[in-house]
Amino acid sequence: MDEEKKIQGRKNIALCIAAIAILCIILFPVFWIVVTSLKTEQEIFQVPPTILPKTWNVKSYAAQVENGDFNMFRSFGNSFLISLGAMAISVVLAVPASYGIAKYRFKGRKVMLLGFLVTQMLPVAVLLTPMFILFKGMHVYNTAAAAIIADATIGIPFSILILKNYFASIPKDLEEAAYIDGCNRFTAFVRVLIPIAKPGVMVCAIFSFLYAWGDLAYGMTFILDQQKRPITAGVFYFMGQYGAKWSYLTAFAVVTIIPVALIFIFMQKYIISGMTSGAVKG
Amino acid sequence: MERRKRKGFFRYDNVGILFVLPAFLYMLVFVGYPIVKNIVLSLQDVTVRTLTASDKPFVGLKNYIEIFQDPVFTKSLVNTLLFTVCCLIVQFLIGFLLALFFNQHFRISKPVRGLMLIPWMIPITVTALMFKFIFGTDVGILNYALRSLGIISQNIDWLTSADTALAAIISANVWIGIPFNMILISTGLTTIPKELYESASIDGAGKLQSFFKITLPLLRPTIESVLILGFIYTFKVFDLVYVMTGGGPVNSTHMLSTYSYKLSFEMFKYSKGAAVANVLLVILLIVGVFYLRATKEEEGNG
Repeated sequence: MDEEKKIQGRKNIALCIAAIAILCIILFPVFWIVVTSLKTEQEIFQVPPTILPKTWNVKSYAAQVENGDFNMFRSFGNSFLISLGAMAISVVLAVPASYGIAKYRFKGRKVMLLGFLVTQMLPVAVLLTPMFILFKGMHVYNTAAAAIIADATIGIPFSILILKNYFASIPKDLEEAAYIDGCNRFTAFVRVLIPIAKPGVMVCAIFSFLYAWGDLAYGMTFILDQQKRPITAGVFYFMGQYGAKWSYLTAFAVVTIIPVALIFIFMQKYIISGMTSGAVKG
Repeated sequence: MERRKRKGFFRYDNVGILFVLPAFLYMLVFVGYPIVKNIVLSLQDVTVRTLTASDKPFVGLKNYIEIFQDPVFTKSLVNTLLFTVCCLIVQFLIGFLLALFFNQHFRISKPVRGLMLIPWMIPITVTALMFKFIFGTDVGILNYALRSLGIISQNIDWLTSADTALAAIISANVWIGIPFNMILISTGLTTIPKELYESASIDGAGKLQSFFKITLPLLRPTIESVLILGFIYTFKVFDLVYVMTGGGPVNSTHMLSTYSYKLSFEMFKYSKGAAVANVLLVILLIVGVFYLRATKEEEGNG
């Protein structure tokens, strides 16, 4: 594909300008909340609105640090813990499972694969009340563990379906060579196959993290105390409490986006691969 | 071919189950059991008091009969369908056009297309907040823009009037859905061999003709899976609606998911909430069958 001839000259410039214009329109909402978070409350309601802040105001961020219940940096920490936990469970369980599904034709394989496919389609509404009862019974209700366990159920099936394609594409010879070198099935899997499938494992880790980071329903339903809740639930309750305080609200929203932005900047190729292979290959 | 080679090695193959079992059991306990439990809950009469008790009165299909007589439920069902169909059409068309646009190999096509994925990655709670701000009556930039263009003279209460709230939610969801449609169609486009277009143009086919005769037919599997998956993702929308309107004003924007949540966790009618969720599930499963059939063809060769 890279050898393909690129469009040159005036047409190239016209297309570039059009592309940037489209991008600006699409990303305007993001730009708009970032700018708003740096304005004073007064300037936000000003008509006509200012495109860039007249007076740069970082108070909306600073104020959050001391702000009791709605301390956004604590919520950030909670979300980080929950997302890392969910990611760890997803990867640890999905990596061997996808290998098993890709490389062995055992009895019940089809049923299990179907099960993982179906869980991807489930609406949260079906799971909330039963999970709520289950977590109360397990005494994890109102702890980070409840959100971690629930969020991992999104990451696991996604990861298995992605990774099985990676493992399936690894030639059988490589595995056999490892056996000849004295590996057993388990050590061959750990030392030879996982390193080869590493890009796939990265995709799974990133998406499991992102799914958990973006979750609202589980975090707000299974964790009662605002101090323990993830940042999405923090934003939501902050909206209920300070409805029109847009400087604070947008600052909160911007902080929520930061890890997503970092992942996007440094790991974009994994994102595209995850979006496409996750959807088309199923 | 592989199957035949392995047929004698049942022992070898069955070892595979040990790798899958931990994940499968995890999903069985935390997803499989809840699905069954939710069906049971919908056939019982559960209150706050009996929620975690072991003994709950069985009422049969009473909850289902009652929700189908509930106007808010019917409204949410219609809303969910309307919302899904509108979102699918708009985001598919825009996504398709953008995919065609970025499929031209100009200088910055790849990096810009990459940046276009941002909306899809942003936590939905934040997206909801963003659009709530843009659609705000007094603070919103949309009203300001429409006013300065002379399209409206009075600010519109986008999110607080029943006529416009659903449209606002749809536009927010379309914003999330565009990258998803664009990137999948882009990937589909790259699988079409360039030679086909070349020979078509030698045969005298115009751009439009080769689009309808080559691009569309060869893209059919991609289009199918984009639409079916899009339907599934859109139909179960929850966070976006819950944060933007909470189902209001006066229940006018409830979706099946948000109404189920409201019944269960705000009105504590757990059984009714479970029944609504199961209706949602059944519809998704019916559509899911189409998806499975589409992927099965690939699974066969994979």
